Amino acid sequence: MSPFALAHLAAGIGAGLTIIGAGYGIGRLAASAMEGIARQPNAGGDIRMSMIIAAGLIEGATFFALIVTMLLATMKG
Amino acid sequence: MNAPLLLLTASAAAEAGRAAETAQPDPAAIVMHHVTDQPFGLIWSHHLVFFLAAAALVLVIVRIAIRGYRAGIPTGLATPVESLVLFIRDEIAEKSIGHDGRKFTPLLCSFFFFILVAALLGLVPFPILRHGHWGTLAVTSTGNIAVTAALAAISLLAQQYAGISRNGLFGHLKGLVPPGLPLWLLPVMIVIEVLGIFTKPFTLMVRLFANMLAGHMVITVLLLLIPMLAGVSAAMGIGIIPVSLSLGLFILLLELLVAFVQAYIFTMLTAIFIGMYAHPAH
Repeated sequence: MSPFALAHLAAGIGAGLTIIGAGYGIGRLAASAMEGIARQPNAGGDIRMSMIIAAGLIEGATFFALIVTMLLATMKG
Repeated sequence: MNAPLLLLTASAAAEAGRAAETAQPDPAAIVMHHVTDQPFGLIWSHHLVFFLAAAALVLVIVRIAIRGYRAGIPTGLATPVESLVLFIRDEIAEKSIGHDGRKFTPLLCSFFFFILVAALLGLVPFPILRHGHWGTLAVTSTGNIAVTAALAAISLLAQQYAGISRNGLFGHLKGLVPPGLPLWLLPVMIVIEVLGIFTKPFTLMVRLFANMLAGHMVITVLLLLIPMLAGVSAAMGIGIIPVSLSLGLFILLLELLVAFVQAYIFTMLTAIFIGMYAHPAH
């Protein structure tokens, strides 16, 4: 087994861990936002906008990890 | 390939090009070949063509929208463009920057419309004749880190311009650190805030680039399943076609949403950062 095989394995595991983190983060965010909208429907627009921005920030951090896995996945063996 | 991030596109494209010529191409190389920049003609490249096309399309759309006004009432294309511009002015610029946010509306509109049109252009498969056979070309210029780096650099300049023009150079630098901070924290905070000037546009750059790249990568991988499984057996190749196409269509529709969300987020975060530097905590 070449070291590149380990890199490809790491890329797969890394992508899985990345999606766990991002899914958990955005799930928590959406749950809280929905609770907030249910309690205060008048503030729905503002909450939704803040949610999208926060989701974008989480996504941005997630993509850093994803690019690392892409680099690992495209390694030549 | 062990290249740093900035070399990702260039070196991957070169390696993908070499791998595509060999008898048994590597799937990863094929995917990278489809999402990275490729030569187009002699002096052009795919991303350059689609970058200029997106910029020209924005100008044309806006000119048509301006001509669409009949006695001050928007008709035709002017209606959606006006509602988006009003949204950017009232909901993004004035809410995030404040009453002086109006003068940043043209810049924010340019960001929004360019990113939106560039992303939507990437979802349209353009027919292209190459090496004697027809194929399709769907390229997003914002899927190139150089393009998003340029957008982020403009955003960085706008943020610093907003701070300096409003508070003066000294006031701007003083406003970077929140007031009332213990003196021993000052060296740490100065380093963090100066780094923050550059990390803010850096995250804008990576977010847009990775979003566009990842979307096209997923579509390419899904469609690539067909020839890969067809190589194993004909029945598997035919069996995967409905799965591949329906999942690909789903991701395409998702990309439609992502195009709007990314244009909105880039514009919104730029406005928030401009507001942060224009009105530091007192």
